Amino acid sequence: MENKKKFVLEQKWIVLIIVILLYGFFSIVSKEFHKTSTMVMMLDSTYYVLLMAIGVTFPLITGGVDLSIGTGMVCYALTGGYLVKFLGLPSWVGMLVAVLFGLIVGIWNGCLVSILGLPPFLATLCSCMITRGLGSMMAHNFAVPWPGVKEPGGWFHRIFKYTIGSGRKASNYPVGVLVLAVVIIIMIFVLNHTRIGRYTIAIGSNKEATRLSGVNVKIYHIAAYTISGLFAGLASVAYAAAVPTIQPGTGAGLELDAIGGAIVGGVSAAGGYGSVEGTLIGVFVIQLLKTGLPFIGLEANWQQIITGLVLIGAVIVDVLKQRKAALAGD
Amino acid sequence: MKKKVVSVLLSAAMVASLLAGCGSSGGSSAASSSAPAASEAAPAASEAAPASEAAPASEAASTEAAAAGAHAGDDDKLTGTEFEGLKANEAYNFAVVVKSFQSTYWQAAIKGMDMAAGELGVTYDAQGPNSESDIADQVNMLNSAITGGPAGIGLAACDTTSVLDSLQDAKDANVPVVCFDTGVADAPDGSVVATVATDNTQAGEVAAEHMYEAVKDVIASAEGQVRIGEVNQDATALNIQQRGLGFINKMIELVKADGKTVAVTGNEFYVNAAEGADGDESSADVIIEVAVPAQTTVELCTTEASTILSKEDCIAIFGSNQTSAEGLLAANSNLNLLGSDAAGGDVIGVGFDAGSVIKGAIADGTMYGAVTQSPLMMGYYMIYALTKAANGDSVTDLPTDGYWYNAENMNDAEIAPNLYD
Repeated sequence: MENKKKFVLEQKWIVLIIVILLYGFFSIVSKEFHKTSTMVMMLDSTYYVLLMAIGVTFPLITGGVDLSIGTGMVCYALTGGYLVKFLGLPSWVGMLVAVLFGLIVGIWNGCLVSILGLPPFLATLCSCMITRGLGSMMAHNFAVPWPGVKEPGGWFHRIFKYTIGSGRKASNYPVGVLVLAVVIIIMIFVLNHTRIGRYTIAIGSNKEATRLSGVNVKIYHIAAYTISGLFAGLASVAYAAAVPTIQPGTGAGLELDAIGGAIVGGVSAAGGYGSVEGTLIGVFVIQLLKTGLPFIGLEANWQQIITGLVLIGAVIVDVLKQRKAALAGD
Repeated sequence: MKKKVVSVLLSAAMVASLLAGCGSSGGSSAASSSAPAASEAAPAASEAAPASEAAPASEAASTEAAAAGAHAGDDDKLTGTEFEGLKANEAYNFAVVVKSFQSTYWQAAIKGMDMAAGELGVTYDAQGPNSESDIADQVNMLNSAITGGPAGIGLAACDTTSVLDSLQDAKDANVPVVCFDTGVADAPDGSVVATVATDNTQAGEVAAEHMYEAVKDVIASAEGQVRIGEVNQDATALNIQQRGLGFINKMIELVKADGKTVAVTGNEFYVNAAEGADGDESSADVIIEVAVPAQTTVELCTTEASTILSKEDCIAIFGSNQTSAEGLLAANSNLNLLGSDAAGGDVIGVGFDAGSVIKGAIADGTMYGAVTQSPLMMGYYMIYALTKAANGDSVTDLPTDGYWYNAENMNDAEIAPNLYD
């Protein structure tokens, strides 16, 4: 057990060094990348990927996965946005509905996996399709713009980015960093110091042993997926703040940024270990690549290839880690 | 343990409420102080859309009346086209299958059809699936329309390959089909008598012409190199390729006409397909930089737009469809460079299509202007083409124009109906 923990720690720090190196490299090659505005722009899209990634860390640690978070996030953003933009409800109602919607889909996924015993990959793939269709239906196939930052009800943008001044003199402050810092501290605590977190890890390490030791595995299994759904709901608010118009039928593929980030950050693809702070660092690798590669003038196709290669690297580290653990007779 | 949890949750709740408090008070003050009347109008207009959705029939009827009033005796839409002076030999009844009724884009097309039908004394029955991705539903509608034996069918295909069998059936049943909005390239010979769709090359040229008008003094007086950006959603879809190249080639032509050199950089496809660039990247007076994201999402278009906008020498940028134009605006929300005063140092942003975000940005001057397609004119010409085909005459393909719109003309009767939310 001690051995494993140490190794997770190691991967985390290696990845942190990679983040710093990547940032340094992109900054040297492109002076535009080095601008504060680029950093703020990268943070805009990091918030929702990071929120999804923190959530999906829990099912991943149980040895499962949640593929419904990408389309789910868009579905919740469409639903909430429709209420705000077309039915004239206040923004907080839309946000609340979006978050609760995510929570419900999370519970649904948990029940499919835990009670009906469906493989997580299949169960959440189905939810991915369902949320994709449901999102378009909820928004009546309209592309949904949430209120803009200057429009009435646009205050939620300021959770993530505070703009002072207007026009060319405006400056933006990424206050979302503070909000996310609080969320991350809470979730580090939840994962390491609460029953939900510790049983999530226990389920991933050895589900049967956990059940035999008297833990209600089903409930905690559902809880892991519920957290994932809840965070997809929270991510939908960050998504609405970052993207001008939410398009129905989109979102597929966004889950891969989040899952990829978590894996790069040291969450085991086979379950059993991982950390919220590791996920945080891993997400930054993905986001740096996504933002930095265009800035150094790399063609679109290469961006995807390089991101894929980085993921393979992370998975290889994970596989080696397991082999080492197996050899150690752990 | 439990106490710890409770205390953490409580403190989290407190922080959350603090932030929420700040947020909402900031929001209300900003709402009361800022926002010119025009940008207020945009959300109001978009709110009205679903309400009118509820009663499409009554809306169509009322706009028909309004359009008839506005265009009584106004034949300039037909001047110079093959439809000038066209009369229907009979009171034909056509079937029209659109991609869906949900977006206001298609509502605008219906308005155009109503205008044409009113002028010609023909009628049509329009149907469409619930969404543009309900391909099978649309094929069913097309098949039942053919069975009904109309004088002709107007079709905007959701999926250009799924309708091929039905088009063969239509041909066998001697029902002429006019495609509008979207052409069907592989249609069986003789089944589609004409296609009415946007001339994307021309639409890209319109964007270049208006952008050049705004920045030509800046280019003329520039001491060093200046950069004009273009964000294209992809390098594979024909309409985006045509638009992107229409813009690039026109811009090259205009810049060269004023005695400056120009180079095209960035995406390989567009660089190779561009015509007439004479400069070298290091020495040209004007650089046209073309960016294409890895996927067609607003997020990635935003990053691509940022890479160009962040460069000090960028003076203007074009987003060639709604997604990439919104990407420009999202990038600008961090960079705050776009505006309408090129001489004063603003970067000129030009968009494509509409949607409430782009309309709002144009109304408040953030975006200089945009090019809209004309679903209204496509619907209008489609009915004319069907009538001519039903008369037994041959019809040719009819490209429709892209129209420039900006803060001044966006509420005009000719433009406003095309600007969907």
